[in-house]
Amino acid sequence: MSATRLGLPAAVCLATAVAVAPAAARKNHPSPALDPVGTWSCIVYSHPAFGDERVLLDVARDGSVRAAHLQDGEITAWVSLTRWEIEDATLTFTDSRSGRHYAADLTRATLGGGWRTLTLVGGWWCSPADFVAAPTIDRAKPEALMPPLLPSLTATPVYPIKAIRDAKQGRAVSCFLVDADGYVVQPELVELSDEIFRAPILNALARSRYQAWPDERVLRPGCRTFIFRLDPLTGATAD
Amino acid sequence: MPRVHLIGLATIGLVASAAGAEVEDRTVNRTVLGGNEFLAQGAEQIRVGQYDEGIRLTNIGLRQAPTVAERAAAFSNLCAAYAAKGNPDRAIDYCTQSIALKDHNWRAYSNRSYAFYLKGQYRKAHEDLAVAASINPDARQIATIRGMINERSLRPTVIMEDHR
Repeated sequence: MSATRLGLPAAVCLATAVAVAPAAARKNHPSPALDPVGTWSCIVYSHPAFGDERVLLDVARDGSVRAAHLQDGEITAWVSLTRWEIEDATLTFTDSRSGRHYAADLTRATLGGGWRTLTLVGGWWCSPADFVAAPTIDRAKPEALMPPLLPSLTATPVYPIKAIRDAKQGRAVSCFLVDADGYVVQPELVELSDEIFRAPILNALARSRYQAWPDERVLRPGCRTFIFRLDPLTGATAD
Repeated sequence: MPRVHLIGLATIGLVASAAGAEVEDRTVNRTVLGGNEFLAQGAEQIRVGQYDEGIRLTNIGLRQAPTVAERAAAFSNLCAAYAAKGNPDRAIDYCTQSIALKDHNWRAYSNRSYAFYLKGQYRKAHEDLAVAASINPDARQIATIRGMINERSLRPTVIMEDHR
């Protein structure tokens, strides 16, 4: 989507240029590289206690955003969210029902970022959906649009020796797309507590595989949280 | 006439502190020594890994050491040498004697920390290392020993959760 839609519609280009370019010039902020307009297949994640959601997002050129959920194998009705805005290469909109305020960094290769409410934070990551959103969708399509993303090989990152020596613990979230062969592509670290964990995470993702699916056109979004923890060895503290 | 000895990390990561220190660069462990030739030579022998010779010279120097500071440094050197020889119990004894004479010698605490590490007594090793770091927070040897202790005493775990 990003490659083919970089030619932004005139109205969007104009609005973006007016709103973003002067600020970018003043503050050396990045310019948006991604056109958010289109239909996206997204994963919305949060604390494990609250679970993850599969969401279809339709970002329209007129500034509107609609969302539909996948529930019990069916796509729910599309619900309007607030209008989207772009400022400093950041797309924002709000789901007034859940209170989630979404933000996406448009300098990335795909649509995704973080969300927050007054008390919760989380993230979201999308791949382009290969269809145009309609008010209702054929019930046969969900599985084709959102086939189950099932890991077949989950590689564990190596805990860096230097991090052990320095007693460094940490947390990271990587979001990525998965191609039809089950390979992780375009991984990005949307959260990273310490740079020392970046390389092991990317190496592990490169070795990980998901179950393949037949439709080669479909890229599916996925995210994985990594927690690097150090625990005292049993008996190590006993003197 | 003062002589300059560079006292660096021995292969086991210990610093042989020297007697009669007058001027000290605490980051690179450079010590300008006073007049006790045996202690100076003993420290040098320990530094290059000749532990038995270093112990012999240091014991001679110890008998001639007139000041508390020299004796404290000599005990710390003996501690380092015995730890390097793999005799942590004797090392701990010498370091404790050194600390009893001069309780703000970071090298003695650091050396004793290493000896506790050799015995697998990581909590005591951490405690001594904390004292050493409070005296000389910039000492590279302290960071090295802390890393060695962490390697042995911490179990790394990576927990992963897929969002899908």
